[in-house]
Amino acid sequence: MTAAFPAAPARPAAALRHASARPAARPVLRLRRSRPDLLLCGLLLVAVLLVQGWNITGYPGLSDDEGTYLAQAWAVQQGEGLAHYTYWYDHPPLGWIQIAALTWLPSLVSPETLTVAPMRCAMLAVTAASCVLLYVLARRLGLQLWAAGLATALFGLSPLAVVLQREIFLDNIAVMWMLLAFCLAASPRRHLWHHFGAGVAAAVAVLSKETMLVVLPALLVTMWRHSHRDTRKFAVTGAITVCVLIGLSYPLFALLNHELFPGPGHVSLVDGVTYQMSRAGSGFLLDTSSAAHDVLGSWLYYDRVLPAGGLAAAVVLLAAFRRSVTGRALAGPALAVLLLAAVAMRPSGYLPAMYVIQALPFLSLALAGAAASAGCALLRTRPGFRRRWYAARWTALVLLGVTAAAYVVPRWYDGDRAALTTDVNAPYRAAKAWLSDRGNVPDPARTRILADDAIWLDLVHSGYGPGTGAIWFYKADLDPAVSRTLPRGWRDLDYVVASPTVRRDASHLPLVKGALEHSEVVAAFGRGDDRIEVRRVGQRGLGGQGGRDGRGGPAEGAP
Amino acid sequence: MLTSVLVCAVSLALFWMAAFTLWWQMHAWRTPETLAATRFEPAGDTGALSFSLLVPARHEQAVLEHTVRRLLESTHARYEILVIVGHDDPETAEVAERMAAAAPNRVRVITDTHAVKNKPKALNTALPHCLGDVVGVFDAEDQVHPALLAHVDHAFRSTGADVVQGGVQLINFHSSWYSLRNCLEYFFWFRSRLHLHAEKGFIPLGGNTVFVRTDVLREADGWDAECLAEDCDLGVRLSSKGKRVVVAYDPEMVTREETPGSLMSLLKQRTRWNQGFLQVYRKRDWRQLPGFGQRLLARYTLMTPFLQAFTGVVVPLNIAVTLLLHVPVYVAWLTFLPAVTALVTFVFEIVGLHDFGVQYGLRVRFVHYLKLVLGGPCYQLLLAGAAIRAVWREQRGRKEWELTAHAGAHLSREDVTT
Repeated sequence: MTAAFPAAPARPAAALRHASARPAARPVLRLRRSRPDLLLCGLLLVAVLLVQGWNITGYPGLSDDEGTYLAQAWAVQQGEGLAHYTYWYDHPPLGWIQIAALTWLPSLVSPETLTVAPMRCAMLAVTAASCVLLYVLARRLGLQLWAAGLATALFGLSPLAVVLQREIFLDNIAVMWMLLAFCLAASPRRHLWHHFGAGVAAAVAVLSKETMLVVLPALLVTMWRHSHRDTRKFAVTGAITVCVLIGLSYPLFALLNHELFPGPGHVSLVDGVTYQMSRAGSGFLLDTSSAAHDVLGSWLYYDRVLPAGGLAAAVVLLAAFRRSVTGRALAGPALAVLLLAAVAMRPSGYLPAMYVIQALPFLSLALAGAAASAGCALLRTRPGFRRRWYAARWTALVLLGVTAAAYVVPRWYDGDRAALTTDVNAPYRAAKAWLSDRGNVPDPARTRILADDAIWLDLVHSGYGPGTGAIWFYKADLDPAVSRTLPRGWRDLDYVVASPTVRRDASHLPLVKGALEHSEVVAAFGRGDDRIEVRRVGQRGLGGQGGRDGRGGPAEGAP
Repeated sequence: MLTSVLVCAVSLALFWMAAFTLWWQMHAWRTPETLAATRFEPAGDTGALSFSLLVPARHEQAVLEHTVRRLLESTHARYEILVIVGHDDPETAEVAERMAAAAPNRVRVITDTHAVKNKPKALNTALPHCLGDVVGVFDAEDQVHPALLAHVDHAFRSTGADVVQGGVQLINFHSSWYSLRNCLEYFFWFRSRLHLHAEKGFIPLGGNTVFVRTDVLREADGWDAECLAEDCDLGVRLSSKGKRVVVAYDPEMVTREETPGSLMSLLKQRTRWNQGFLQVYRKRDWRQLPGFGQRLLARYTLMTPFLQAFTGVVVPLNIAVTLLLHVPVYVAWLTFLPAVTALVTFVFEIVGLHDFGVQYGLRVRFVHYLKLVLGGPCYQLLLAGAAIRAVWREQRGRKEWELTAHAGAHLSREDVTT
């Protein structure tokens, strides 16, 4: 037995654990330590912030939706719940909860600045984050430095992007989260918890703006391509599970409020979803008489290069999936573009004006990717072959680049210059100044006024009572809790701020219509269809004083 | 208000507990590189170290012969097998003597004469007789891969480790609903979690397929004869002294075992482990660990059975309080946070079962997934019961060894007849 054991061999020195047989670690992209990347991304960021930040309060016109979201964010900050009117599950609330968080500090320092125009600056932070994430995503998807820079520039400097990203839209916030999800899905380390995090970020994106649901399959494709065979099933199922679970927290919230299903006397999630799904269709996008075509026209008015070029690039990239490395690398973003385009093409669906926001990063990626692919194809030589026609190839490339720049730069220069110099919000500011002048309205707290959402917070800060003093005009007809306080209809009102939105929607809101018909202009600001009128409602009963005693000044500006 | 704060605190605590456990459970699958590193490196040679393999057997005459025969098929050149039998167990002793006579250069029989017998005492009895550089421990029902020793040898030499822990896997997942969960528990523990412990430098070793350098083991005075989880205790003591532990898991190379034959014996086995963990915790060897994080990990790991029991009690209570006491909606919403981690764990278990089937070439049917899901809460109940039982027994000073019987369900038909 003992013969089996010769003298024990000397113990070997500790060897490296990961030596030899272990698979060699792949080279991992480290953007944080790459000076050219930091420099390029930083420069682009400064440029984008300058272009988007300059004159942000003056252009584009304050939109009703911006007012809605910011007012609801204000309600969250005030601890009044998710909205100052009954929250009716129109959108998941996470978007304006984030706006509330973003604007919390400024609103602490000076509460009266919490109005649409100044708070657009908060969107600069969102845009900055989105730009950096887009750059990182482009690099993680394998685009070269210059192509990643091109994608970021397209995303941040296109006149269409400048106009839409300045506005306080939930879509901008959702895009930021979706870009984070894509970045995590394309984790160079193929880390389980990065993919898990992608699921979380995707869920946050969807809860910020529900239309992001459309993009999820593209995210899944990206994650699939960037996971390893051995760990993929854990990574992908984990991400899907957590995304679904977090998504379900919204119906759970409704359930806990006893507002999941419709019932008498309360709002419900099912009602909210039914409303959104049954909104009157905007018609077929390419039918020139449809509302959807008008929306398309409004996008193409600002920029044709990014929407049209990006869509074409996405089609080309997906068609070249088998033959092109870039096509495979950018399959996710290209698929996102096509999915969004397909949904926009539905003839029956409602196409909101901000719909294109979600497509912007993917359009930029597709366009930059196609450009990179074309550039590489032009310069590529087969290994081992002499580089022939070298000068001619470079000349062709430079010519292509110059032609593209010659087409794009003048158009974008004009578009961005308008965004940097035009002030279209002066009438709003003037109307607000008029209404907060005690000479015109001596007792705002006891004055009842119909206004659109964009000016509503200004009125609240001027002393009008939020909710039933300063009233979102359509709530007067649509929210029973508000119309109950107006038993005599328009006769209980003192003023109407007739902005273009109010005049447009009054046709199907009887109370608003009545108020407009039975009122006279006491002040008007701006010209033509965009003018804003302050109208005093006549024949008011004995109930209150307020606006009754307000001396309406002579109309300012042209009527 | 107080209720709300309490409910929030409990929910968040539960959430973080479950999240950490999940994080550790999924350690091996974090990146493809991590997963690749959990395997044995391919062994180029037949080995340079010599092994003494200890096989304590007690009333296990039915499976012992097969186990020793499998060990004798090893491709390694230099090893001896020490079968340890009790002086009051003639049936097992007879099988052992027969094996020793058949392979006199490989197998020896050591007789344990302790009046009250347990596994650590048996192992300590055999330790002075070990002639190899490395002592390996196997149970009498283990099915050991012939190439295992060569790989372990290579692992010792290439890493300079003091301890190598090989994988152990319960295989008979089809036997019952609890064996399914039991198998999966082993899968996650040996495939994934133990590697994290080895990396962090605090590891409760497994009961078999564990290899320790003989001098290191003697220096540590062998196993603690009074501890019910002598394997865990050894691991804690060795890692507290800064000994280097390496874990390797290869589906091909794992030691195959069977789950306890009945629910009661599973409960007993789990009670013993829990009680053992509690004893190790109270021995405080882990306090010598140099890092704060290591001590925290040790504290948490050794407390896990009791945290599980606590969770089992608190989760239903928390939900009941939420639903009955009309807390604000936000607070009620927060109480579902632990459910999220629980559900994610559930899904990972389902995927794990699939992976288990793929790794071992076993056919996992739909009904098994169903059993896995439906059995989950019952298994939690069992774990909670075992934890409570362990505390009760430790409190009452009942520290005797409750042995689990083995029938050989993990051996396929050919294995048994040949």
